[in-house]
Amino acid sequence: MDRADVMRAVAERAGDALIIANLGSNAYDLYTHGHRPGNLYMRGAMGLTGSVGLGLAMARPDRRVIVVDGDGSLLMNLGQLATTAAEAPANLVHIVLVNGLWQETGGQRIATGGRTDLAAIARGAGIAEVAEAADLDALTRALDGTQHAPGPWLVAARITEHGSSQAPNTDPLANRDEFMRAAR
Amino acid sequence: MAWADDIVEAFRSQQVKLVVYVADKVLVPVLERIAADPEHFRLVPLTREEEGVGILAGAFFGGVRGALLMQSSGFGNTLNGLASLAIPYQVGFPMLISMRGALGETNKAQVPMGRALPEVLDSFGIPRYDLDRPEAVAAVSRGAARQAFATGRPVGLLLSSLMTGGKGGGF
Repeated sequence: MDRADVMRAVAERAGDALIIANLGSNAYDLYTHGHRPGNLYMRGAMGLTGSVGLGLAMARPDRRVIVVDGDGSLLMNLGQLATTAAEAPANLVHIVLVNGLWQETGGQRIATGGRTDLAAIARGAGIAEVAEAADLDALTRALDGTQHAPGPWLVAARITEHGSSQAPNTDPLANRDEFMRAAR
Repeated sequence: MAWADDIVEAFRSQQVKLVVYVADKVLVPVLERIAADPEHFRLVPLTREEEGVGILAGAFFGGVRGALLMQSSGFGNTLNGLASLAIPYQVGFPMLISMRGALGETNKAQVPMGRALPEVLDSFGIPRYDLDRPEAVAAVSRGAARQAFATGRPVGLLLSSLMTGGKGGGF
C-alpha cells in the first residue's frame, strides 16, 4: 500500500466529509488522486493538520471531518492527541500515513521508522478508537469501521514509499474559499 | 474585575464561541468568566499555544469564531502557525496576550520574549493594541475582535501589567 492507494481509498469513501490534507506529499497525492471542493490542502504549519481537523470537527459536529496526516508531522505535535481525546469529537477521523521518514526532504529516517508506535501513543492519549492498517484490505476495513462507530478515530496506515505526485501549487486563499463553500 | 468583564463581553458581542488557551495567572479572571457561561463559550485548554492556531483555523473554516488566550512567553510557540496558516489562509481571531517581561518583571527569563513580542507582531503585519487603561478596555477589545474577523487576520490584545497588577497582584 502506497500513499496513492490510501488517497484513492479515502476519497472513494469520503462522501460529503470534509478532508484536511497535511502539507507536502499528502496534499499532492490527495489532489492528484481525489481532488474535490471539500479538500483543504495545508501549504505550511507542519504539525497543525490534526489541530485544524479538531477545530473544524468541533465547529461542525454535523459533518464528518477526515485528516490525512504524516507521521513526521504528527510527531511534531503529539500533544494534539491529548486535546482531541479530551474534546472527543465523534465526527473526527485522523488518518496518519506512516512511512518512518521525512519524505519531502530526502527520506531521512525518523522515530516512527524505529521503535515509536503512533497507534500506541494515540491509545495512551485516550483516543476513543484506534486502528492500524498494514495493507489496503485492512485500511478499507478500518475506514468502513469509522463510518459505524463514533470517534474520534486515529487510523495508522503503514505505507511503502515511492515518492509523491507533482506539487499542484494550490493557492491557500482560493482553496480556502472553495473549501468553506463546501463546508456550508 | 471590570477589565475582565469588559474583555469577555467584547468577545461575546463579536460572537466569539470557542476560546482556546494556555493558562496564565493574570488571565484567571477572564477564564473564570468564560467558564461561567458554557451556554455561549466552549473553553479548550491546549497542550501548546501553536495548537490553538490550528484549532481556531479549523473552527473558522467551519464558520465558528474563536479567540486565543496565552502569556507572552507562550506567544513564541505560535509563530509558524501564524506565519504559514493564519496569515496566508486569512484566518482572523483576537489573541489576548498577558504581558510578562516588562514593567515590574522580576524573572529574567521572561524579558527577551516580552520585549520582542510587539516587534514580532509588527514584522508579521499583525495589528496590536495595548490594554493598559481600564476605561478603554471595552472599546479596544471589541474593536480588535471586530477587526480580526472583518479583515481575516489575527489581532493582538496586549494585556499590560500596568492594568492587571501583574503576576504578583500589584506593584
